[in-house]
Parts: sequence; C-alpha cells; structure tokens
Amino acid sequence: MTARHFLAVVAVVQGVLLAALLILIVLNRWFRLRRRARNNPRQLAVEGVMQRWALGQADERGVLAQLARLPVSLAVDALVTWSSRVPGDRWRRLAGALEHEWWARLVRSNTNSGRWWKRLETARFLSVAAMPADTARLLKLLRDPHPAVHIAAVATLERVESAALATAALDRLPQLAPTVSAYYAGMLRRSRATVVQLLLTRLSRTDDPALARLAEFAARLQEPALREALTALAGHPDAEVRTQVARALGAFPHAESLTALTRLAGDAQWPVRAQAARSLGMLADPATLPLLHTALRDPDWWVRMRTGLALTRFGSAGRNALLAAEVGADPSARDMARLVLGLSPQALAEFAA
Amino acid sequence: MSELIRDANFAILVYFLALNSFYALLLVLSIPEIWEQTRLAEDDDFQRLMQSDALPPITILVPAYNEQKTIEASVTAILALHYRNYEVVVVNDGSKDGTLEALRHAFDLYEVPRTYPETIPTKPLRALYRSRARTKLVVIDKENGGKADSLNAAINASRFPLVIAVDADTLIEPDALLRLTRPFLLGRRIAAVGGTVRVANGCVVKHGQVMDARVPRRLLAGVQVVEYLRAFLFGRLGWNRLGGNLIISGAFGLFRKDHLLAVGGYDATSIVEDLDLVVRLHRYLRSRKVRYEIPFIPDPVAWTEVPESLRVLARQRGRWQRGLVAAMWQYRGMLFNPRYGRVGMIAVPFYTFGEMLAPLIEVFGYGVTLVGLALGVVNVSFALLFILVAWGYGMLLSLWAVVLEEVSFHRYRRLGDLVRLVLFATLENFGYHQCAVWWRLGAFFTPRGRKHVWGEMTRRGFETATK
Repeated sequence: MTARHFLAVVAVVQGVLLAALLILIVLNRWFRLRRRARNNPRQLAVEGVMQRWALGQADERGVLAQLARLPVSLAVDALVTWSSRVPGDRWRRLAGALEHEWWARLVRSNTNSGRWWKRLETARFLSVAAMPADTARLLKLLRDPHPAVHIAAVATLERVESAALATAALDRLPQLAPTVSAYYAGMLRRSRATVVQLLLTRLSRTDDPALARLAEFAARLQEPALREALTALAGHPDAEVRTQVARALGAFPHAESLTALTRLAGDAQWPVRAQAARSLGMLADPATLPLLHTALRDPDWWVRMRTGLALTRFGSAGRNALLAAEVGADPSARDMARLVLGLSPQALAEFAA
Repeated sequence: MSELIRDANFAILVYFLALNSFYALLLVLSIPEIWEQTRLAEDDDFQRLMQSDALPPITILVPAYNEQKTIEASVTAILALHYRNYEVVVVNDGSKDGTLEALRHAFDLYEVPRTYPETIPTKPLRALYRSRARTKLVVIDKENGGKADSLNAAINASRFPLVIAVDADTLIEPDALLRLTRPFLLGRRIAAVGGTVRVANGCVVKHGQVMDARVPRRLLAGVQVVEYLRAFLFGRLGWNRLGGNLIISGAFGLFRKDHLLAVGGYDATSIVEDLDLVVRLHRYLRSRKVRYEIPFIPDPVAWTEVPESLRVLARQRGRWQRGLVAAMWQYRGMLFNPRYGRVGMIAVPFYTFGEMLAPLIEVFGYGVTLVGLALGVVNVSFALLFILVAWGYGMLLSLWAVVLEEVSFHRYRRLGDLVRLVLFATLENFGYHQCAVWWRLGAFFTPRGRKHVWGEMTRRGFETATK
C-alpha cells in the first residue's frame, strides 16, 4: 500500500466517522427530548403526591404507585430529596411499604452487583429507606472498595440506629482520608450512645496506631463521658495524639483538664503548645494567666498568636496582660500583643471560630 | 534535494501519525472517564454534603490587575457560592485603573493590620482590608509584581488548607466549589484538582452568574468555545487516565496549600504560572515518592470572557506558547526520566514534542510541501489529500468534543446553539487554526526574560457581553 492509498483510506474513514458523529449528535438530542417528554410529567406527579402525602392529604399507596412509574434512578433521587423534608415516623412507614415494591427489591439485589454505579444506587436508596433486615447489606456496602459507595452507605446512620453499623463505621474511620473521616464522624454522631462506649474501649488501647484519629473524633463529640479517657492520653508519645487531646480538653472545664493543658502548654512540639494555649483560652481560668503571659514569648509565631487570642478571652485581666506585653522587653511578645490588640471584634470572632 | 524533501515529507507524515494516534488514545480514554464523572456528578447528594463537617475549608485567591469593569461582578459571584466554609482573598496588584476603588465602594472596605507571616516572599504590601459588608472578604493592596506574585501574596494571607486560584475575570457557578471538592470527599490523595473553564461570551449574565448558556454568534469567540470544550472535555479527561495532567487552569484550580508552600508557591518569573506550578508539583511529589493525584473533573464550571479581537487573541496565544516553551526548557530534566513515572515518560514528552513543537513542524511541513510542489517532487493530489486528512482529523476531534458535551453536561440547550457549535467545529480548521499556529510560532522568536506579565486583555464586562 502506498502513502497515497493509506491517506485515501484514512480520508474515507474520517468521512464516515464525521457523518456518524453528526448522526450521534442528532440522535442524542432526539432521545433526550423524548426521555424528557416522558419523564417530566411523571416527576411532577411524584412531586405532587409527595407534597400531598407529607401534608397528610394522600396515602402511601399513591406515593408508591407514582414512584413505580419513574425510572429507578429517578425514583431513588426523589426519595433522597424528599427524605430530608418528611418527619421521621411518616418516612419510616414509607420505607417499610417500599420493602414490598418490585423495583425496590431490584435495587436491594444490586448490593452484590459488579458495577459500582449500581451498588452506589443501592447505597443511596438504603441511606434513606433501610430497614433492620438490610443490616447485612449495609455492612457489605460499608466495606465497598469504591469510596462513593461506602460514603453513601454510611449516611444510613443518620436514620438507622444500629450498633453493628456504628461499629463497622467506627472501625473504618481511622483508615480514611481526613475529609471522608470527618464525614463518617458527622454520621456517627447520631449514634452517640453506641459510639461513646466503643470510643472508651478504643481510647484505652494506647498502642493503637489509629489513636490520633480516634482522639480527633472524640474531640469533635465534646462528650463529657470521654473526658477522663482523653486526659489520660495527655502524655502519649505521639505528638498528633497530644495535639488532639489539647484540642479536646478545651471543651471540658475541669481541674484535671487544666492540669493536663498546663503540661501540654510546655510541650516540645509547637502544634501541641498552640492547641493547649487555645484550649486554655476557652477555659479562661485565671490561674493559667501567668502561664499564657509567658507563652506570649514562645519562639513559634502561631503559638504566640494562639496565646494572644486566648488572652482576649480572659476579659480585663487578659487585656491587661496584653497591654503589659505591648510595652514589655520581649520584642516578639510586644509585636504579637500589638497585633492582637489591634484586631476588630469581628476578626477576633473569626479567629475564635 | 528531492531525496531530502521526500525524507522530510516522510518524517512529517510519521509525526502526524504519532501525534494523532496519541490524540485518538486521549479520545478513547476520555469515554470511560466522562462516564464515571457524570455518574458521580449525578449522584452527589449536595444537601447532605452542605450540612456536613467534612467539607474542607477553602481560601479563594483572586488576583486582579486593571479589572475595574468586572471586579465587582466577579467578587459578588464568588461570595454567592454555595459552600459552607470559605474566605475570599482579592489581591489588587498595583492596578493602574480604579480596581481598588471599585472594591472599596462595592464592599465597604476598612483597613486592618496584617496577622500572618510572609511565608512566600512577595512585592511589598501597601494595605490589608476587610469588608464591613461581607465578612468572608479580604482585600490585599500591593505593589505590582505580576499574577504569580499576587497569588503568592494571597496564599500567605490564606487561612485554610485548600486554596483555589480564580481569575478576577472568571465567573464560578454557585455549586462549583462543592463539586470541585468531590475527589477530596472520596478520600483520594489529591494534590490539586481542576474544573472546566467555559466561554462566557454570548451568555446571559445576571448578578455575576451565567443564567443562560449560549454559543456566541461571532466566529472568533465561537471557535474558542469549541477549542475550550476540546481542551477540557477530552484532552484533560484523557490525561486523568494517563496520570499526568500537566495543566490545572490558572482560572480555576484547587490546590493543597501545604504542597504549594513546599514548592515555594507560584514562580513570579514564569509567563504561564499555572503550567509551571503543576509541573513543579509533579516534580516535587514524584521525587519524594509521595502518592498523589492531579485530576481534572468536568462538572464544576467557571465561565471566562475570551478575546474577540485578533490582536488580543494573538497576544494571549503567543504568551501561552512562550510559557510552554519556557516550562519545557526549564524542566527538560524530567523528559523521558523514569524517576518521574508517567509524567516524565508520557506527559512531558507529549507536551514537548506534541504541543510545543507542533506549530514549528506544521509550518515546516507547509514549507516543505510547497518546495516539493515547486520542484515536482510532491504530487499535487497527494499534498491536497494530506491536507484534507489533517484538517479532517482536526474536525473529528472538535466534533467529538461537541458529542461529549451533548451526551454529558448538555449546557447549550437550544438547537441554534448546537448548530453553531457544529458549524464552528467545522470552520475552525479553515483559517483560525492556521492563524493560531502562526501566533504560536512567533513565540519561538520573541525575546525571553519578560517578567511580571498579566497578559492584558480588553474586556467588555460580563453584563454587557450579550449586548
């Protein structure tokens, strides 16, 4: 074959492909319009019946009938959207009724599908319509390798209180990336009673490599029952654990918290010292004022910043300490005091957040 | 002589085949990628995410230079974003027009002391402002140092672990930030992520938001719509599968701040700071064997005004090409270097030989063909057939981008817009493409060493873009 023949063949193939693409564009438009013409009225009907049902003017059978007319993916979307607008008891009744619907059974059976988007659909469906019998399915979805699937599945904890699911989610939490772990933590907060018991056990295992993440989660819960377990970790060799403890203890005004925070304020690692200074500001115990006054001379800028901000929470005593530092001998403390005293209340509130 | 011309023609044919096979590969790889991304985008439960603590806080960096006309609309649109925890840092880079005054007037600014260390050195700051009207807004007024220098000043002032660089002439869709954080929420090891930049010319813009997406009627802007679709929807999606996105658009890219600080922020002497930064990030992370991804996701959208005059467009394309040449030269050590994995073995060679050298080789090809025709070495029908195939392939790629847009995001809903898209995809290769090649070629012969470039462009302003 000569170069000319080759180019001629390529030109012909290109021509065919160009024609095919144009036909594809036209057909796609046509199918899209048809699909929209078919589904739009059905979606509107679902919206209408859901609205009436939410107001108590229609029964569940009407909702189920309209949902069954929608393509499965749109039905799941409608359920997810409406789940946050309907009170819990009413919604549970609908979820119970959905168990017997053919399409809901089909969605449930996709738990074992080889296609991740099918499993994702199941996870989204179960996140709003799970029943106690779905626990095994949800446990499987929580272990799913595709992140979108297990993230959708963990949202079930918003509605279902299950020790098995909470345990599985808490076990997975420390291995997850920070953002996903924060999402899990948000969901686990709804199962507080179960989670606190599990955390008390896990926090006592000081050699647990996931301890820092668990301490971080425990800090988010601000649960008084966890205070003792967290205080016990103040001397942990891992700086990340100590940082999380320093952060958590600011929520517990207790003598033991103050003792631990005083020790952490002298830590070798600056993030620990910065968090301890912040927490001491949150507790605002006058006995810790001299300590914070000294911390204004810390070699690290962020520790000085956190200390300066903490002092603003001590009222006039803290302000006086800052004013004294502003004219003091130490240049770094002087600069920081000047900076903090110059902040507007709004800026202070933003830093506090 | 005729032997030489024949050999040159053969070499050009081989180059053409290799390059277009690679484009075909990108095209094929973009299919599963857009399928996955569309599924994930459809199934996002935004209400739940919005209420979740998981959303990472973000600092939006907005460098501005002589943006008096668009700055208020841009910042208003950014402040109306649907996101839970973010701040906006606008940097006025010593503008010669009334950019700072426009900001001061629109957002009731008041001066505050600086409360952060200067981690990355920048040109001196004149003042730092906060807004009485919008608490999330911080404005830095500094001496002129270029876009990269402004971005570095904004990074220094940022409080949050993720930063996104947004051009002041860019309108971000309200849910774009939320969508852009999806890879972070899926637990992927993201160093940076880019979204789609679309052309705002011709669109109906109200209150800093694109209300109705339209394809412009003017040829120059219309062709750029197709160009942008092609670059984003299949170019960058294809690169996701090859693990080496070298460009995260400077107009719309989310970065991990700790990585930016580790590489020293943006290079203030670079002409195309976004390309330079991403290549440096790859180099830094690969050399330290850090596991990371720099993906592109198509559903977060930002809209930008593109040039409608040949002069401004020529200047923009010349600047982009100069930046590419400078970056490929500066990071030549990565070329075919297995230490940098797929970035060194695939992405950098492609950008060097496929993107950077393409205009040189194309013009050389035209020249050789003309000489060959004059000497009778090249057959007229063969030359015409070759040009037909080359242009046909360009049309095929552009139409493919239109198909991807149609089957996935379908932003242009009117039939007239679709017809115009197809028309512009067809017309692009007749004149526009050759002009672009010429402008890019000029970059090889422009003296280097220009610093603090902003790529000045005459703007009409978004609200007047449709008039």
